[in-house]
This record gives sequence, structure tokens and C-alpha cells, in this order.
Amino acid sequence: MVIKMIEKIDLRQVEKQTYRFTFSDGIYDIAYGSLLIFIAIAPILREMIYLGYIFFMILPAPLIILLGKKFISIPRMGIVKFNYNRSKSKNKLMLLIAILFPLTVILVVLTFIGMFNVKVGGYIVPVGAGLFALLLLSTIAYTLEYPHFYLYAVSIGLGMPLAELMEPIVGGPLDYIISFGTSGTFLCIYGIITLIKFIKKYPIPKEEIPGVKG
Amino acid sequence: MSKGKKNSGDEILIPDSIDKLIHEPARLNIMTHLYVIESADFLFLMRRTGLTFGNLSAHMSKLEDAGYIQIIKEFIGKKPHTMLRITEKGRQAFDEYRTIMKDFFNEI
Repeated sequence: MVIKMIEKIDLRQVEKQTYRFTFSDGIYDIAYGSLLIFIAIAPILREMIYLGYIFFMILPAPLIILLGKKFISIPRMGIVKFNYNRSKSKNKLMLLIAILFPLTVILVVLTFIGMFNVKVGGYIVPVGAGLFALLLLSTIAYTLEYPHFYLYAVSIGLGMPLAELMEPIVGGPLDYIISFGTSGTFLCIYGIITLIKFIKKYPIPKEEIPGVKG
Repeated sequence: MSKGKKNSGDEILIPDSIDKLIHEPARLNIMTHLYVIESADFLFLMRRTGLTFGNLSAHMSKLEDAGYIQIIKEFIGKKPHTMLRITEKGRQAFDEYRTIMKDFFNEI
């Protein structure tokens, strides 16, 4: 048994598995799914609350991650700090996301409400925005070594040109609801199922674990 | 380094110089996880190693007594939190253990 274990020790693999374990709660899937759903209903929200709908696109996803990790994951999973290199690249990436994410959402929103008077016709804007999102999220997926981000990248990257393609067929706001709502709902459901499994598998420990309950 | 030999039951014996403290499967599991990260709390190690609270606690005590792991008290917000980290001595012992075992397997 020991010999088999020693043969299997691949430290890089152990580190990777340990890192991926921190994503096993499904919270990122729920957060990203909710973001897609809010993008899907953005045209409806825009009619109802005007510019206030920007908050619905920027706030829910980070809030789900922060609160979900704090109140659901950490009490069940515990806390881990990764080595300097991984932490450093993650911190840089988080900074990049913190700057680019709200900026992208605001620019997209302002473009859609006609703030910049963009006169580019056809599919140039949606394809460009889709490509930008695809590249940004793929970079995040690569840096985080979290394959689900590739799925997020494809869903938002394809969503924009798809919405533009569907607009003449189904009209608004159905074009957005179909293009982003479908993948968002799928991701949310997948995330919720993963979260339920996680909660069942890792209940909050009853023992007084040092450092967990103080 | 003295090498282990096959005994009459064809069971492979481990090298005599091996660190028995690390060689125990549960402790090897703990050391491997602590080796690849900066630090983790007790609960995280429980989840990753699949050990119970009592088991992990007992193995941790042995590793701490040997100076292989270090307990760090820190604050997360206003709450005190206990994190566990492999020490330099533990890291060296683990490296040495891996080298000995790799050599051993290369020779058989």
C-alpha cells in the first residue's frame, strides 16, 4: 500500500488537485450563471430601472462569490493558502479582473444605450465584444487552471454575436434571453446541483476544530 | 545507506534509513499536502486527507513533536485561526524521503 502511494506521488498533480478542490463548491458556476442571466434580462431591466440595471450586472456575481465562500464553503472546506507563485499570479489576475470586469460591463452598457454614438454597422461590435470576452475569460481560465472558465468564455463570447444574429428572427428582448439566458440557466442549475452535493458531502463539522470555530 | 532486502515471504522491505515518521501512509498524505501549499487549517487537511479529527490530530502531534510542521496562530477578521505549515526541517525530511524511495525503486 505504501509503495503504491509513493509511486503515485506527483507533487505538481497533488498541488493542482488541491487547488481545484477549492472550486468544487459550484459557487463560481452559480455566480457566472447569474451574471449571464442578468445580461439576458438586461434589456428588460433597462426599461424598468434605466441605468440602475448596471448594478445588477456588476454586483451579484462578486457578492455570490464573497458570501458563498464565507458562509458556505469555508466553514465546510477550511482555509488554504497556496504557494507564492500561485498566489502572486492569482492576485495579479484578480486585480486585472477587478479593473477590467466593471470597465467592460460599463463600456458595453454605454455602447448599447448609444452614449458613444457608435456608427459601426453589422456584426463588428458584437463579434468584437464577444472576442474580447472570449480572450479575457480564456486568459483567466488558463491562469487559474480552472477549465470551467473556458466554458464561461465560450458562453459569453458566442452570446453576443448570437444575440445579434437572433435579433431579426425573434426580436428583442427574446434575442438576449435566448442567447445568454440559456447558458446562464444551465450554469446556475449545474452550480446549484454541485453546491448541494458539496454541502451533503462536507457538512459543517460538529467537533471543535481548532481555528474553525475560534 | 543500507538497503532493504526481500524477506522469505517475498515482501519488499523498505530501506533502513527511511524516515519512519513520514513513511506512515496517513502522515505521508499530510506531509505531501503541506509540502505543496503554503499553509492550511485543520479542517482543510481533514477534507483533503480524508482523515477523521482524532486521527489527524494524533498524526499532527507526532509531526509537530518532530519539528516537521508548525502551528501558526493568526487572525482572520477578529477571529483567531490556527494554520498549519510545513517547516524547513519537514521540507528537507520530505525531500530526503522522496530521494531515498526513488533510489530504492530505481534499484529494484
